[in-house]
Amino acid sequence: MTRLESTTGAPAATPGTATGRSGRARDRRAWSGAWFVVPFGIFFVLFLVWPIVYGFWLSLTDASLVASEAPGFVGFSNYANALSDAEMWRSLWHTIAFTAISTVPLVLLALVMAIAVYTGIRGQWLWRFAFFAPYLLPVATVAMVWTWLLEENLGLVNQTLASLGIAGPGWLSEETPAMASVVIATVWWTVGFNFLLYLSSLQSIPTHLYEAAAIDGAGPMRRIWSIMIPQLRGITSVVLVLQLLSSLKVFDQIYLMTKGGPDGATRSLLLYVYDTGFTGYRLGYSAAISYIFLAMIVIVSIAQARIASRKGQQS
Amino acid sequence: MTHPIRRRDLLLAGLGGALAAPALAGCAGFTGTASRGEGIRFWNLFSGGDGVLLDGIVQDIEEEIGPVRSTVLEWGQPYYTKLAMASKGGRGPDLAILHLSRLPGYAPGGLLEPFDLDLLAELGIRPEDFDPGLWSRGAVGEDQLAIPMDTHPFITFYDRELADAAGLLTSEGVLREFSSAEDFLDGLDELGETSGMTPLTFGHINHDSQAWRIFWSLFAQTGAEFELSESGAEIDIDGVEQVMELLGAMFDDGRAEPNLQTNAAKSEFTNGRAAMTFSGEWELATFRDVVPNLGASPFPTILGEPAGASDSHAFVLPTQLAADPVLRRQAHEFVAAFLQGSLDWAQAGHIPAYRPVTETEAYAELDPQRDYVSAGEIAALDPQAWFTGSGSEFQRQAGFSIQNAILGQDPAQAAQDLVAYVEEKAAEPDPTRGTTS
Repeated sequence: MTRLESTTGAPAATPGTATGRSGRARDRRAWSGAWFVVPFGIFFVLFLVWPIVYGFWLSLTDASLVASEAPGFVGFSNYANALSDAEMWRSLWHTIAFTAISTVPLVLLALVMAIAVYTGIRGQWLWRFAFFAPYLLPVATVAMVWTWLLEENLGLVNQTLASLGIAGPGWLSEETPAMASVVIATVWWTVGFNFLLYLSSLQSIPTHLYEAAAIDGAGPMRRIWSIMIPQLRGITSVVLVLQLLSSLKVFDQIYLMTKGGPDGATRSLLLYVYDTGFTGYRLGYSAAISYIFLAMIVIVSIAQARIASRKGQQS
Repeated sequence: MTHPIRRRDLLLAGLGGALAAPALAGCAGFTGTASRGEGIRFWNLFSGGDGVLLDGIVQDIEEEIGPVRSTVLEWGQPYYTKLAMASKGGRGPDLAILHLSRLPGYAPGGLLEPFDLDLLAELGIRPEDFDPGLWSRGAVGEDQLAIPMDTHPFITFYDRELADAAGLLTSEGVLREFSSAEDFLDGLDELGETSGMTPLTFGHINHDSQAWRIFWSLFAQTGAEFELSESGAEIDIDGVEQVMELLGAMFDDGRAEPNLQTNAAKSEFTNGRAAMTFSGEWELATFRDVVPNLGASPFPTILGEPAGASDSHAFVLPTQLAADPVLRRQAHEFVAAFLQGSLDWAQAGHIPAYRPVTETEAYAELDPQRDYVSAGEIAALDPQAWFTGSGSEFQRQAGFSIQNAILGQDPAQAAQDLVAYVEEKAAEPDPTRGTTS
């Protein structure tokens, strides 16, 4: 230890002419690592920083996908138009509603499933596989399967309900059930990922905690409430953040299952961005809506981070 | 001390190579030197049975004009978005398919280049070989931007025996004329009684175009006004309401299930649970093999003038930064060869736009294609505006109000909603002219 310290520390401590040279050498050493970051840096700038800057510039113009003229600068008028666009607010509301409705079961159900599997259902491997398998399916397959299942007249769901004497709703043709249908399909499809996060977290809780509790006379429910759930607090906040972010950017299953219908009742904000930009050709306007959405997500993320850090300090 | 330098050199060299490789490859594609011998690039949106048929036709054409690199993209909005972006960047394919109804959204933006009509005439293709109305939809000013390839109308498919038993067929075996909406509804009821099944099946829920197609078929028959221009929309709302009322009645009283998705309706028809369906003629390949005594007729005339929603696939030349004259000529040769051989294309159910083919005896023998060839003459294409046309957002959004009428809601309300939406859309700035804010 001492020998190492003396060799590395000696030049810096030596006064006189040597200081400058060794200082440069040390600078060079400090910067040599930077080269390893360059490839990532280039990709970061090319595919993240530049698109963000370019997209913001687009949002200040009347850029169009098909016009032959160069886009003209229009200032913040796209933003003003977007903020007074009822369809923008309506689709934003759909995104928020979807996020709120889907996040609760996606977190709670995953937790219950993980605890159930971990605490002793027989054939753990089968349940692990069965719960996680849907997550491996491509979204196109999921949408197709659920579209058929929920078909109003011939679908398995309504046929089953009919055999029980219940008249099922028009799952994809009526406004309220349509949003519920998208949520159901999404939960079925993605809950496996959260389940797996919970399960791995459960497996990392030291067994001696349970043993100690058992010695103190705690029953199974007591062990779940007083050991498992508190120990899962960290992973729960991770799952919650990941889930909120992925629910907010909902697009593909809606595009495939309902195309935003019926009557726009399931159109999410990103679907509206796609509709105005790519099918309506108004790139500038759709960029402005994207930036309004980005601002909202940043605000939510900052608020979430503040709350999380405050909780962290308290505990 | 030398290590960092060596390492840096290595990194730089590697990085330089990594960046240079794609750039060089890009250059090769850009200047086009690498693509010369590989033939024309042809984009289309034909999948399924159409796609298989097209592949066969392209193979035949390749023997005449050399290699063709065919690219199939997803039908509808994804196709048109990609085609617009490629053309805007000046790197569009040498030849592409476009629905004629989409031309008004493409032409003003300069995304397409005109055909050389002299060259086409030299290859045996002249304007008089086409229906004048169809041909003129491909022209913008002096330029012929699109050459029609076919018309693909929305038609009626039915079981011939069942329709005949209900007295719905003429002696030639096609759907008889109807004197009024009541006459048509009575006909459906009769078909239901004699066949013992649901008379009509039709799927439209959450589909891009189906609801619009049935509406537009009926509306075009009324002869009422539906004009879109830069100054706004002029729509006869009474005509719209009349159609909405008829739709409500058509899907009522057990005549048809109002809430089917397209695939569900298709399966009702192919499984023998319904006697008749409205669909595009492109479903012919699907139905022919499974429906006994399959008959096909133009969309029935119920509200006056014969008409049926339709569109036309057309060839277009997407804009390129520097078009290669050799490939440009090959693209023209491809179009000519395709049109002259389009009897093969008729197998898919489409009506060839090139009349010398539909006038042949061989075409007259195609059953049931020959029974609906007149649908090409009563083709009602979408009202012309930058936002209309096959696979457009407009058809989907307009479809929501029509869907409500089919589901039995107030026809007056549905008509108001539809007109309000169209007026709102017509008031939007036209992005093809660079004023989108």
